[in-house]
Amino acid sequence: MNIILRELRANMKSLIIWSVAQMFIILAGMMKYVGFSESGVDINSMLEGYPEGIMKAFGISSVDITTVDGFYTVFFLYFMLLAAIHAVMFGAVIVSKEERDHSADFLFSKPVKRFKVIVSKFIAGVFNILVFNLVTLITSVVMIAQNNGGDGLLGQVTLLMIALFFIQLFFLTLGFLLGAILKTTKLATSAATGIVLGTFFLSILSDLSDKVTFLKYFTPFKAYNSVTVMFDQQMALPSTLVLITCSGIFIVLAYQRFYARDLNT
Amino acid sequence: MNIIEINQLTKYYGKHRGIENVSFSVEEGEIFGFIGPNGAGKSTTIRTLLSLIYPTSGTATIFGKDCIKHGDEIRKEIGYLPSEVFYYENMKVIDVLKYSASFYENVDMSRIESLSKAMDLDLNKKIEDLSYGNKKKVGIVQGLLHEPKLIILDEPTSGLDPLMQQKFFDLILAENKKGATVLFSSHILTEVQKLCSRVAIIKEGQIIKVENINDMRNSSYKKIIVESQEDSIEKLFGFEGITNLTKTAEGVNFLFKGDINTIIEVLHKVKLQNILIEEPTLEEIFMHYYQKEA
Repeated sequence: MNIILRELRANMKSLIIWSVAQMFIILAGMMKYVGFSESGVDINSMLEGYPEGIMKAFGISSVDITTVDGFYTVFFLYFMLLAAIHAVMFGAVIVSKEERDHSADFLFSKPVKRFKVIVSKFIAGVFNILVFNLVTLITSVVMIAQNNGGDGLLGQVTLLMIALFFIQLFFLTLGFLLGAILKTTKLATSAATGIVLGTFFLSILSDLSDKVTFLKYFTPFKAYNSVTVMFDQQMALPSTLVLITCSGIFIVLAYQRFYARDLNT
Repeated sequence: MNIIEINQLTKYYGKHRGIENVSFSVEEGEIFGFIGPNGAGKSTTIRTLLSLIYPTSGTATIFGKDCIKHGDEIRKEIGYLPSEVFYYENMKVIDVLKYSASFYENVDMSRIESLSKAMDLDLNKKIEDLSYGNKKKVGIVQGLLHEPKLIILDEPTSGLDPLMQQKFFDLILAENKKGATVLFSSHILTEVQKLCSRVAIIKEGQIIKVENINDMRNSSYKKIIVESQEDSIEKLFGFEGITNLTKTAEGVNFLFKGDINTIIEVLHKVKLQNILIEEPTLEEIFMHYYQKEA
């Protein structure tokens, strides 16, 4: 318990900054929607002039973005990206920072098992991604309600956020694994950012041509289709199972690697 | 009963030697010195005992239990002061100490106050604002806070001024009197001589000797530097007890072990410009050990 509390306190500031940033992004995004809808311009016909590839890259094909729910599904792509970066960095740093800050000799000379340390840090991590998720949920519902005659689409957005949570969990545990395998925090965070951006571009690439559609199986950003979740209220079960399984494997491997590790001073 | 028992402990970092076949034991209630120059393997040995790193081969037990298997159990009764003291930079001293205490059962929290007072440590400062010496004091207090049965000190006095060193030695002696066993690592021979009953000497990863400090004192070496213009003065010092004899432009210098009067008898016949008699550095003693064992 003491380690969990310590980590929650240590990460409070960064969590607040991330949350506030996320609130601003949602706010700014919804203001764009307000601009759209009030300008009276026929956005759909305007967008038809754009090449399909660009539309797909920005995630705005196959949905009517002049409606608030349609517009919101486009957001999801960017939520995933931000949430993924937050989660993977959190995981990579929290595992490796004791050695970076040279506090490993302090912590691990206490009567604690490394197992307990990893579990405590993991619980702190899940708490952090949950808060980030809830902030996204609440801000979204409030902002949607303002532009949708008071209906915040709570059910649909909640389902989207549950989907988001599994993606966060995937990246959190991936961060743990990187932090446990790689020698320094710097290496771990570099690898983590690389993987997030790599898989993110993979997800965009998979939309661009039918020949490379198979790439979507290699990126968690394609685990869910925000349009299906929003309009059909269906969360792909296979994706969920794959994400949970991967997370489980990552965290177990992370523990094993961390247990066998010679701690640097 | 042996509190620490180390058996053929070996640690390689990849191809780099950490320690090789280190064996020694520390008895209950003693203050055991562990000396050697920087990089000899003192910290490697200690960090293996605390299972911060894993041995390549060999075993070590503390309180009769295996260091790796029962690490967390053993560490309940260990107080450890690392050679490099680092704590969570943005925490206050008092919060670090409370955090440290939270890992142990039944800690007498009034000891935070009394130990800090003894070491003249300001509890309300942030760690990042502390000088090296003051961080060391935080390390000392967190190491002694829970009244451990075994105190492991890795170069504890670096950064402490002489007055603080003395206070620190007093604290250690008081804990020792209450029954704590102490493993004291250092590269300064004199402070080890002051506190310890026995000492293990390590160089280049290997234990050269485990010795009783009293025997060592009786056989303690003096480094003698004689400056004189007399011809072939080195021939005067060809007798038993003299080692490392070297001739310099000014005269001669050597290590001497034995009855100091024999040296004086020779010296009073010589016209001297200057004479220095000093404690040899650890390095010089090691050189001697090497020559003897080679």
